[in-house]
Amino acid sequence: MPDPSSQIDALRAQFDRDLAGAAGEPAVRAVRDRYLARKGGLLTALLKNLASAPPEARPLLGRLANDLKGYITTRLAERLAEVAVSRRPAGAVDVTLPGRAPSIGHRHPLTLVREAVETIFARMGFLVIEGPELEDDYHNFEALNMPADHPARDMQDTLYLAAPVRSAAGSPATLLRTHTSGMQIRYLETHQPPVRLIAPGRVYRRDDLDLSHTPMFTQVEGLVVGERVTLADLKGTLFAFLHELFGQERGVRFRPSFFPYTEPSAEVDITCSACGGPGNPATATCGLCKRTGWLEILGSGMVHPAVFEAVGYDPERYTGFAFGMGIERAAILKWGVEDIRLFYENDLRFLEQFPL
Amino acid sequence: MRLVYPWLCDLVRVPGDPDSIAAEMGLRGFEVAGVEHGRLPVIDFEITANRPDCLSHVGLAREAATIWGLPLHMPELAPASDDSRAASREPRAAVLEVDLQDADGCPRYAAQAFEVTIGSSPAWLRDRLEAAGLRPINNIVDVTNYVMLEIGQPMHAFDLDRLAGQRLVIRRARAGEPLRTLDGVERTLDAETVVIADAERPCAIGGVMGGLDSEIGASTTRIALESAYFKPTAIRRTSRRLALKTEASARFERGGDIEAPPAGIRRAAALFAQIAAGRPIGDAIDVYPAPRPPLEVRLRASRIERVLGASIGAADVRRILTALGFIVADAADAWLVKVPSYRVDVMREDDLVEEVGRHYGFGRLPMTFPVLDAPQAPPDPRVARDRTVRQVLTAAGFSESMTFAFIERQAALPFCDAGVEPAAIANPLSEKFAVLRPSLMPGLIDSCAHNRRRGRKDVRLFEIGSRFTPSGEGRAIALAWCGASNEPHWSAAARPVDFFDVKGAAELLCGAFGLVATECVTAERPYLLPGRTARLRAGADWLGELGQLLPALAESRGFPADEPIYVAEIDADRFVAAGATDALRAATLPRFPSIVRDVSIVVDEALPAAAVRGTIRSAAPPTLASVVEFDRYQGKGVPDGRVSLSLRLTFRAPDRTLTDDEAQSATEHIVEALGREHDAERR
Repeated sequence: MPDPSSQIDALRAQFDRDLAGAAGEPAVRAVRDRYLARKGGLLTALLKNLASAPPEARPLLGRLANDLKGYITTRLAERLAEVAVSRRPAGAVDVTLPGRAPSIGHRHPLTLVREAVETIFARMGFLVIEGPELEDDYHNFEALNMPADHPARDMQDTLYLAAPVRSAAGSPATLLRTHTSGMQIRYLETHQPPVRLIAPGRVYRRDDLDLSHTPMFTQVEGLVVGERVTLADLKGTLFAFLHELFGQERGVRFRPSFFPYTEPSAEVDITCSACGGPGNPATATCGLCKRTGWLEILGSGMVHPAVFEAVGYDPERYTGFAFGMGIERAAILKWGVEDIRLFYENDLRFLEQFPL
Repeated sequence: MRLVYPWLCDLVRVPGDPDSIAAEMGLRGFEVAGVEHGRLPVIDFEITANRPDCLSHVGLAREAATIWGLPLHMPELAPASDDSRAASREPRAAVLEVDLQDADGCPRYAAQAFEVTIGSSPAWLRDRLEAAGLRPINNIVDVTNYVMLEIGQPMHAFDLDRLAGQRLVIRRARAGEPLRTLDGVERTLDAETVVIADAERPCAIGGVMGGLDSEIGASTTRIALESAYFKPTAIRRTSRRLALKTEASARFERGGDIEAPPAGIRRAAALFAQIAAGRPIGDAIDVYPAPRPPLEVRLRASRIERVLGASIGAADVRRILTALGFIVADAADAWLVKVPSYRVDVMREDDLVEEVGRHYGFGRLPMTFPVLDAPQAPPDPRVARDRTVRQVLTAAGFSESMTFAFIERQAALPFCDAGVEPAAIANPLSEKFAVLRPSLMPGLIDSCAHNRRRGRKDVRLFEIGSRFTPSGEGRAIALAWCGASNEPHWSAAARPVDFFDVKGAAELLCGAFGLVATECVTAERPYLLPGRTARLRAGADWLGELGQLLPALAESRGFPADEPIYVAEIDADRFVAAGATDALRAATLPRFPSIVRDVSIVVDEALPAAAVRGTIRSAAPPTLASVVEFDRYQGKGVPDGRVSLSLRLTFRAPDRTLTDDEAQSATEHIVEALGREHDAERR
């Protein structure tokens, strides 16, 4: 007959293995029955066997056997409590199945940029105004220092109406506005300085559809007029705006240019999003910025005195600045959109990529 | 303008390679289109419309000289031949006569006859022309082109012996007068065109292109060399009308240098001598009937500071302007600045401020912020309206789309009232963009079709945009919905979109603007399916229309005819008027409980629910708080042509708890009225 005390140790070890291998409530209950059943339980059998041990060994073996019984009972109770937690209650669902998403649509990416621009400028105290998309020659060109036959009109090839149409401003219009400057003129005609506004909206030019042109696009223009407005103010405002829209780490530069309605005029560049800007090794082969490291983003300048004269402001008393940016271009540079036409196809696979 | 780098170096010894020169000049207003590192390196500049003087090497060299503070070496001119004439008092027989009849179109006309030997130009000259983008022709034409690229003065050489009467007459063309130009095209001139004619007929379109008949060729021995100034607007009109843009017209229409014509002749003479191509014969001719005094502009230091926001030292101002060719004199509190004749862009003080700022460097300007000196006006209500529309419709599952405001005429016609033509564009890009859209729906339908072709069946789109009806430009909000009404999910089959989905969305939108009591009225529209078409109104105001798109119309835009598209379009301008929420007063919540009674009635299936609701409302006591249809049933137990309608009536009094008896008698009264008015039977 084997040594009873080693039999007790062996049974304890076997119990530990059995319990460790029991997953789920039924398996744990089966382990309980195997060891503790009144008939045929392994521990029950062991206790019976102790009766045949020599009398002098019985007290010690009895204590060992009782310890084992206590151990088994406690461990089983603990495990049963553990597995009871994971028991599937009545009415349980499979939480891993897909949820029922409420329908939600996406704003257009051009709206996201436009609203971001509006928010930045609103915080700087700019008013947001809207105006008609159909314009007359005076508000689109003449009041902006571009009389008939002005060579600068070539810069903006215009779509004309076959017959005048009543515009949203209530006046007869002859063309589709080539920029939103016309409504700034309308605003100046009816208000007195100080003026601090942005004018976002759709504009039209006679450009063929291709990777980077659409005959309709979205612009935001800005105008500030007061008694002490300077080119340095324009620079400060635009740098702050561009850093906020494109990120503080983005390089920005300001260089002279020409627009008929501003004097001096300036264009603003930001460092190229593809190569990282001038000085990067990738700039030498960058197609996006044509190897310059810079991307043009904004046109701007000090309001031309002739524009003030056209709206009856005294150019000696007032100075002002104006700027304009294409929303499509900003969106393209912000998100790396490869084809401007995607903005007007309304393919949901494209639209749904952008944040809600 | 293609600037040939060694040519630039002849004029000013710039301190750097083409790339560094290009980069620096790019920051002074001359955008760089590219730098080419060929045998003769070239910097390609985009010259803005205000700087015709920089369509020349001298013009750009003057800018470079200003940037680096270097001297500008002007090209060598032949001596003015007036001196020799003054010496010999003998009148000479004129070799060439100029008769300037149109001093308005051509304020200055210089000319000189030359004896020439036609041949090819030396390699250095040909190379420079080619690098600058012009094709060498022969030594005479090449010199005229060289002078144009060098000092900016366009020139033209006529074969003197092919000019009838050896005369050049500058006049307006007679309407219908023909001229075959150098490009071989037979052109018909109008009375606005400035021509250079001989004694008989036009020989050139002034400032634009020469004529073929007086073209110089291998047999030419004598030429008349023209160097003139033409009025910019006249050249621009002619160039546009003839759709003929040339190197000469590009310069003249932006503004030539009125002092340059004699210099052009003298520079050409020097080059002819240098390459042994010819020598002058007869007198130099310079007809300039109304000489223009140089423009003088007052420039105040205070104005510079006021516009630029930076104080620039007087020495810097003088240095910059002088280097650019301005003559600066001191006056009380200001400078008096004489503007050189080639700077046609400088007309007033701020133009000089720009010159100073440009060469001071925009990069050096401080960054400040405009002072806010008044509170801002409230924002345009339309901006807030559009944001609310987007908020509501995206929350309802619609994605925002943007489509072009011009469409095909054919796509627009179904959306125009009978006999009304959509507003047409005079110069459309193509037939696809021929008319202004009378509705936003055509664009949305095309967008649905675009998605459908790419396998996307469930589409919900909206657009906020302009539409153009006979009453003019207006704003609208349109919806399009096709495919399933709900998001696909494993728990239930998708239900196809129906009329009530789009009606619900439209009502939700109107509700967002306080228009809660909208109603749909059966209507007919040429683009909507009869029986599933409604107009939406709030009180007496029509807001828009909605319904199922005509399947044939969907099919014509590439969308399957058997899959319905529901659309709605609402006049956004109504929402601005209705959107004021300032008048809102929060309602007191009911303090007493309500009593609910359900009623099921059987009525004629054609009876509108609105009629039932109306009868209930008029028969009910003021305690009826709401009526809601909660079931509509046809089939077993309901006779053919009839429908079972279940309504939930809620009664409530503001000042007491209603009794069951009161609710019951009100309900009975309502049921009686329904029976009387609509032959309704209670189920």
